[in-house]
Amino acid sequence: MAPFVVYDIISENTNLLLAFFIGIGFGFILEQAGFSSSRKLAGVFYGYDAVVLKVFFTAAIVGMLGLLFFSLFGWVDMSVIYVNETYLYSAIVGGVIMGAGFIMGGYCPGTSFCAATIGKIDAIVFIGGMFLGVFIFGEGYPLWKNLYMAEYMGFPKISEFFGINEGIFVLLAIVAAVLMFWGAEWAEKKFPREEY
Amino acid sequence: MKKFQFTPRQMLSAVILSLGIIIAAVPKDTTTPYKLSAEQILEEMKSGTQYLHPDLIAQMLVEGDPTLQLIDVRPPAEYEKYHLPGAINIPFDDLLSSDYQDLLNQGVMMNVLYANGTTRANEAWMLIRQLGYQNNYVLTGGLNYWVETILNPQPPAATSPDDEFARYDFRKAASGALGGGAVAPVEQQSTAPAVIPRPRPQQKKQAVQGGCS
Repeated sequence: MAPFVVYDIISENTNLLLAFFIGIGFGFILEQAGFSSSRKLAGVFYGYDAVVLKVFFTAAIVGMLGLLFFSLFGWVDMSVIYVNETYLYSAIVGGVIMGAGFIMGGYCPGTSFCAATIGKIDAIVFIGGMFLGVFIFGEGYPLWKNLYMAEYMGFPKISEFFGINEGIFVLLAIVAAVLMFWGAEWAEKKFPREEY
Repeated sequence: MKKFQFTPRQMLSAVILSLGIIIAAVPKDTTTPYKLSAEQILEEMKSGTQYLHPDLIAQMLVEGDPTLQLIDVRPPAEYEKYHLPGAINIPFDDLLSSDYQDLLNQGVMMNVLYANGTTRANEAWMLIRQLGYQNNYVLTGGLNYWVETILNPQPPAATSPDDEFARYDFRKAASGALGGGAVAPVEQQSTAPAVIPRPRPQQKKQAVQGGCS
């Protein structure tokens, strides 16, 4: 039964091999969806192109549905699936910094590598900036250590945090996604751009 | 009359929405076993995944990692004499008392149980693991090994590989940060049976030097 727990079902090397293939698939989808164009990515903030919103929300709701159905069929053990830790304040601050960088640079970390692979100079500069940020964070760690570690909440899921059934949360997310897609298509018609 | 035609987008939205409605109607999965069987415990013990090395714990303590919760399973008297920084005391005898279940059975913190050696903490871990509690671990070697590795690290032989020296440097630094040498205060040396092995004086000096350098 999935997940293929490392050391238990598969070896660490097999795990890396699987990650390699999944990574190639991810990069392929990003490139194929046009995510290596910073104009397309920034479009979501100006309303002329909502492909980022659509692709990522589609991925999220398909993933959520898939996990819950697989769990229902007994194909995946949800109790051993890794959930990222939540440090509330650093998540908020990090989200704001990442969002600002996204609007200014036109890439998020994953798509910048995708675009650098096809030779976009701005993406290479973006990656340089990213490493600069990593360096500043690492060197100045004592300064923001307290903020970084503050408000540790463990591994909560949103559904657990609000105390609702996981399935109901997924349904709400789907309804929200469909409404957002609708709004996004409306915005694309409202703020069109000829060339980008 | 014009025939109504679904666009592919509307079709996809309808499919996903109906799947969402189905999954929302499914009750929460309660089939996962609450308690572990003896075989499952044996498997886990064989794999030894519950053991955490003092180096890792020392690093988490130095970094001030808020996810770490050290739990001292020795009797309160021994806990009073010395315990690791930030550790709480849950005596082994009261392990299953209802006061402590919220601390042991939770999903937020990483509980690390320790005693003087490995055995007591491991017994405690086995008991609570059998109840199905998660996020509980055991400090390898207990306090004895902690003193040996972190508080009084021994310099490796000159012929050792480089990572031995790197580990030694880390331990020296951690020792300084975590009060190496302060383990056994002077008063304690005269009192009868020591709970934790006292470092020998010359080693004590060494540890302090290491911490300051």
